[in-house]
Amino acid sequence: MQSTVTTDAAASTVRKLPFVIRFFQFFESLGVLAMLLIVIVVASVIAPGFFTSTNLTNLVITAAITAVTGFGMTLAIAMKGFDLSVGSVEALTAIIASSLLPLVNIPLTIVGTLIAGLFIGVINGLVISKLRVPAFVATLGMMGIARGVALIYTNGQSVLLVGYNDYAALNTGKLLGIPVPFVIALVTLAVFYVLLQQTPFGRHVCAVGGNEQAAIASGLRVDTITMAVFGLVGATAALSGVMLSSKLLIVDGTLGVGFELQCIAISVLGGTSLAGGSGNMPGTLVAALLLAAISSALNILNVEAFYQYLALGLLLIFALVLDTLRRSIITGVMTRGR
Amino acid sequence: METAAQAGGRRAGALANILGRYFIQWLLVLAVIVLGLLNQNFRQPANLANILLQASFAGIGAAGMTLLIICGAFDLSVAGLLGLCGVALAEVLPAAGVVPAIIATLALGAVLGVANGLVVTKARIPAFIATLGMMNIYLALAFIWTNAQVIPVLNKDFQGLGFGTLLGVPIAFLVMIVVYAVAYLVLNYTTYGRYIRAVGSNEIASRVAGLPVDRVRVFAFVMVGVFTALAGILLTGMLSSANAIMATGFELNVIAVVVVGGTSLAGGQGTLFGSFTGALFFTVINNSLNMFGVAAYWQYVAVGLIIIFALGIEALRRRFMGVGRG
Repeated sequence: MQSTVTTDAAASTVRKLPFVIRFFQFFESLGVLAMLLIVIVVASVIAPGFFTSTNLTNLVITAAITAVTGFGMTLAIAMKGFDLSVGSVEALTAIIASSLLPLVNIPLTIVGTLIAGLFIGVINGLVISKLRVPAFVATLGMMGIARGVALIYTNGQSVLLVGYNDYAALNTGKLLGIPVPFVIALVTLAVFYVLLQQTPFGRHVCAVGGNEQAAIASGLRVDTITMAVFGLVGATAALSGVMLSSKLLIVDGTLGVGFELQCIAISVLGGTSLAGGSGNMPGTLVAALLLAAISSALNILNVEAFYQYLALGLLLIFALVLDTLRRSIITGVMTRGR
Repeated sequence: METAAQAGGRRAGALANILGRYFIQWLLVLAVIVLGLLNQNFRQPANLANILLQASFAGIGAAGMTLLIICGAFDLSVAGLLGLCGVALAEVLPAAGVVPAIIATLALGAVLGVANGLVVTKARIPAFIATLGMMNIYLALAFIWTNAQVIPVLNKDFQGLGFGTLLGVPIAFLVMIVVYAVAYLVLNYTTYGRYIRAVGSNEIASRVAGLPVDRVRVFAFVMVGVFTALAGILLTGMLSSANAIMATGFELNVIAVVVVGGTSLAGGQGTLFGSFTGALFFTVINNSLNMFGVAAYWQYVAVGLIIIFALGIEALRRRFMGVGRG
């Protein structure tokens, strides 16, 4: 599940795997899964109506929308980058989709929206690589710009999508009994998993994230890779925008506030280290399900929405503390070994 | 012998240096003059006082954030922190009276700053993401405390803090001047203040030299917490109420102010005078957009573009002057 650049540490794991590291590898892939199972079991017991097909379908759809952008974010974090603009881009692309829909057919709407997202992402990448603005600030700026454009374009009003039954079916439809959004998430997962693990591009992304100077010195085109990665993040945010608009059927410029936090949270919870150099795509999906399950359970239990902020904040800090602990223990074991 | 061309070149270099170093200050002066000539509503004393008042909230927050960014960290939790402090103030004010309530709020700001600092230094989580998590926690606590209601502030003495003026200058702006003076003194004339620069420019060297790196970081987070609480106190006074989301987007504004003022995100160097000017600059831009009847939503776009351009120009300038990437 982990793709790692060949460093000294990785080379020595080939020879011999200390128990601690094997434990953490196991935990990385299955820890969040265990948490998900515990939440599902507990919620099924204490929250009547949690383990029903309607609720589980809703839960899976919510998770799918977050997970899709989460895959892009995981790729960015593997490159030691971030994208704070995904929430605004999600809102803007949802609006773009809603205004393309009356003009062209559904496949063209989706393609057009994805291209718009890709375009915004590439601009992020350009600002980061060519203007040398830190990713954090560049995407913070884009967060304001995309949000502003979304609000200006709609004039602060809501856009209703009435009479597009085929478009709504993107959300409500089922393929082999699986909700279509989840199918989309699985396909995106497959694409990003292969991209990160099996292609030269994925290895280059990890190389840049692991050690940028070394990547430059070894002749990788870091600028191009940066633009491609942020372009892909933008495209995934646009896909989330399409899925969200087909779910809500009413869009406005205030959608997706705080979405960036959720995406970073599921990436980290899923076992992707903020240190860069690796990414865990399946973990991202499982973490998205975990987050959706927690918020669904809290909803059923009639817990006020603001407790969900608390849950997300605590969960994020908890996951990060684990990440730090894991890194320091692994470093300790590695350096003691020689 | 120096030729006239060389002397001219040197003079041009010196001029470029002054223009470059005080770029944002010149820009502010230029903007105020042009807007004052173009728009007669802009140059009304009431509007100018309003600009000073509006600038002081993000400005006061930016004083602490400048110190923290010089120290090589960020705090994205300030919007939540400000909300929680404002709510706390509004809740204790009726029972405690004005002065104890203000002191208690500042103390709360300091405690929350310590919490941020400990999460970053002891749990070793990158500041950027740790404080993003903390923001959610503070927001939730403020929501839970108020049950998501707006808490009104009816105390007339206290409202004066937000609305009041002294010789025509808003009290909030006078507080901002004092805050920058304090921040300047702390940064340049106290031991911890001087450590802030050292830690920000080279953490490992500071550690090796035996500086208390973690405590310096926590100290910088406390400065942010206290100043943000102060901004919350003034904002609560001006709004005559407090609620959890009273400062949504505050972190974006504050960091934009600091960055546009000329403080390097790489840490180690920064300018409080720049942040002070940056706060006024953003308020002037937003105020003039209002004056010319531009829809409020354009302000998001304007702020975003200004941030990217300010940093882009800074980075390009460094590259052409042969200085490495920050």
